Amino acid sequence: MVDLETIRKKAKEIVSREDVKHLIGWRKGTFGYRVTPYWVEAPEDAEELVYSPLCNTNLATYLTLAEKLPLPKGQEPDRRKTALLVRGCDSRAVVQLLTERGVDREQVVLLGLPCRGVVDLRKLKDSYPEDNEVADAEWKEDKIVLNVSGEKKEIPREEVLDDHCLVCRYPNPVEADETLGEKVEPWAEESHPGVEELENASFDKRWDFWEKEFERCIRCYACRNACPMCYCEDCILDRLNPTWIYRSNNYSENTAFHIARAFHLVGRCVSCGACERVCPAGIPLGKINQKLVKEVREKYEFEPGTDPEGVPFQASYNPQDQEDFIL
Amino acid sequence: MSEQFEPNIVAFLCNWCSYAGADLAGTSRTHYPANLKVIRVMCTGRINPLFVLNALQQGADGVLVSGCHPGDCHYMEGNMYARRRFRLMKDLLEYLGVDSRRFHMSWVSASEGGKWKEVVEKVVDEVSEIGPFEQFKREKINW
Repeated sequence: MVDLETIRKKAKEIVSREDVKHLIGWRKGTFGYRVTPYWVEAPEDAEELVYSPLCNTNLATYLTLAEKLPLPKGQEPDRRKTALLVRGCDSRAVVQLLTERGVDREQVVLLGLPCRGVVDLRKLKDSYPEDNEVADAEWKEDKIVLNVSGEKKEIPREEVLDDHCLVCRYPNPVEADETLGEKVEPWAEESHPGVEELENASFDKRWDFWEKEFERCIRCYACRNACPMCYCEDCILDRLNPTWIYRSNNYSENTAFHIARAFHLVGRCVSCGACERVCPAGIPLGKINQKLVKEVREKYEFEPGTDPEGVPFQASYNPQDQEDFIL
Repeated sequence: MSEQFEPNIVAFLCNWCSYAGADLAGTSRTHYPANLKVIRVMCTGRINPLFVLNALQQGADGVLVSGCHPGDCHYMEGNMYARRRFRLMKDLLEYLGVDSRRFHMSWVSASEGGKWKEVVEKVVDEVSEIGPFEQFKREKINW
């Protein structure tokens, strides 16, 4: 693994570079287990960077979220690069963005970090309640050491790790300019927890399950905003003419919203789990995404975000694609 | 009084094959169920999977998407993309609990009036069997 000083030193070096505008990383939040994304603009800011199992935002999101304001006449656009700390899933998101031409490789500097999985705050808070004190955490072999007000607690990793991280097969960056620290041995086999269980249920049972889940949705669109792959400037959810999905908050529109959101991630979802972690209603969005990831992998042998030279899944075809469902 | 359920099915047909195929079925005086509301599009590749979703929301009991056989597409490859797209759309709908018999896709060429009849009969039969679609039908809003 990699120690914090190495990251800060490297970050300083990168930010001091002439051609780099800023570096996006994480820093401690204002209370409890919170960690927030952080823009390092000057070399001295790098001292605030942290890297721990609590860093659960996918930073690749911020590459495409940056606002592009119209420039005053005669002013040159800022063409400096954005540097980014990337773990396995973040780097897969960046690679997927590269294949979609959402991001220009020349415009990003990727600083790779091996990762042993991030915690699911809900799971963590259940067994180790959060207080106002800013906490700290680190990986230690197969454990996570939680440091709350000077008191250290060792927690087995399986207990608090996010569901997506438990089955993560890409703990090391797929694409990076430089990877710090030693590589981590992947710990998981290909599996999609929770998907088989629903697949084996009857149609009615499945609908009962999802109806209850979707009913709780408050349509805050946090899942869309946290997703590194949702970066359309003109999102169908915001569009009024035609109105694809009404704004009313009922099970019909909520279902339509969730189907549309999931479908737009077919062959693009990199399984980082950011959507599920930010959902205030606790809807298991990962279960929908994982189903599609599984189908795409099994039926088309395609895995998004692994090949920077690849073609996007939905923009390509194979003449031998399955057609057993066609009448 | 018991009335037989007449399903309401929305069919998206590609202009070059399936629409012409349906036309052929009509001009050859073939009898087939009249439950289909046909929407002509230029190519199956033009059909956004959200069309299917919207149709179901707005009161369709089933949806049929029909286009040219692979390799016969007027635009060379439109139906190839559609094939991928709707395979996964079908999987997704099934996974969420929408009966797999509600959504169908078929290849019907311009000369296959007979096949068109069979497809329509099969689709109407299957949708009649499962009854009206209520799962996420849009509620009527009275302003």
